Amino acid sequence: MTAQYSCLVVEDSPMMRQLLVLALSRLKSLRVTEADDGVDGLRKLATGRFDIVLTDINMPIMDGLKLVKRLRADPNHKDVPIIVITTEGSTEDRQRALQLGANAYITKPIQAPQVIAKVKELLKIDT
Amino acid sequence: MAEKKGRGPRRSDRPSAAVAAELKQKRDAFLHTFFQQGAELTDEIVKENRRLHEQLSVLEEENASLKTQLASDQAIRDLLKKIKELEREKSRLLSTVHEQEEITSRVSHRFVEVESELESFANLYVATFQLHGSLRVRSVLRNVKELLGQLVGVRSLAVYFADEQARRLLPIGSEGVDLATLPAIPLREAVVDPVEAAIERAYLTGVPHIADGERAAAPAACIPLQLEDRIVGVIVVYALLHHKKRFVTVDRELLKLLGAHAGAAFVAAYLWGEAGGRLPSAEVLRESCA
Repeated sequence: MTAQYSCLVVEDSPMMRQLLVLALSRLKSLRVTEADDGVDGLRKLATGRFDIVLTDINMPIMDGLKLVKRLRADPNHKDVPIIVITTEGSTEDRQRALQLGANAYITKPIQAPQVIAKVKELLKIDT
Repeated sequence: MAEKKGRGPRRSDRPSAAVAAELKQKRDAFLHTFFQQGAELTDEIVKENRRLHEQLSVLEEENASLKTQLASDQAIRDLLKKIKELEREKSRLLSTVHEQEEITSRVSHRFVEVESELESFANLYVATFQLHGSLRVRSVLRNVKELLGQLVGVRSLAVYFADEQARRLLPIGSEGVDLATLPAIPLREAVVDPVEAAIERAYLTGVPHIADGERAAAPAACIPLQLEDRIVGVIVVYALLHHKKRFVTVDRELLKLLGAHAGAAFVAAYLWGEAGGRLPSAEVLRESCA
């Protein structure tokens, strides 16, 4: 099955990135691209087409909140679904991300079924 | 012929006209009676005939009704038979549905189990990959902290390493608790603090301490770090995230994995740093393999 959708995972922690990629790779219709931080994410968004973005909030160089803000201000990416990944207790970050235009959030520690369900929901994938 | 005294005149003596009239009268009376009775009889016969006709009609109606009823009874018998057949079919279908529901339930249950196992394998794979993915002590420590934080749901932890000459355990890194506040733990001395006692016990015995639920007094877990047959340190989990109430099976597997590999990862990273990132020569490795 060829990938119908493309997903960008923006996460500075290699371990978290690997976990997210492993979880998302179970969706055969999804092609996953990785980015180390917000700046790397923007670079990859500028050169490719992505149907959904998953981003951590706490990252060096450019954090997830700034990335969400930049994407929503960009006409090319203002409608792309964004899922932010937050830590337990970071309610303010979560609220701020949603206010800036993120579509959903996932709290760490992440669980693969939860990530898959959220991505499928936002991309409207049935199976 | 002589006439007898005291007797009335004989018939033959009466005038023939009178006799004839009498006879006629009698004949008329007889005829009248005869025809009257005949008419009455005819009336009765007509009435009887009519009654019989009516009775026949009634009987015909009854007959028709009975015929209809008979046909209806047969239809009912057919319907009852059909109902029985349908009831049997319904029972069979219900039985099949129940069987299918049981199968679906078993499959769903198994699916959840497989999902959980898959999640566990993915976590263990990532943990192993990341633990040996770096040859810098700082990165190894960061990976250990991330593994415990992200995969297990640990809120605060410390990594103790053995200072064998001084017979004590020294904290080398922490998360969620200030490293400067963590004490060195002397070995084989009377330790009063239950946390320190648990750390010391895990180090000295090599047996992990893993709490089943939340315990305020003791740490949630103490995992001895093994390096071959030696214990070189302890990972201490002080507290779990608020929504994490207890360890689950995959957590224990991850803790076991850390206990078996984290010590080696720290030592290998340290030695690699000490060696300045120089690879051993192939000759040296071949001699070591011999």
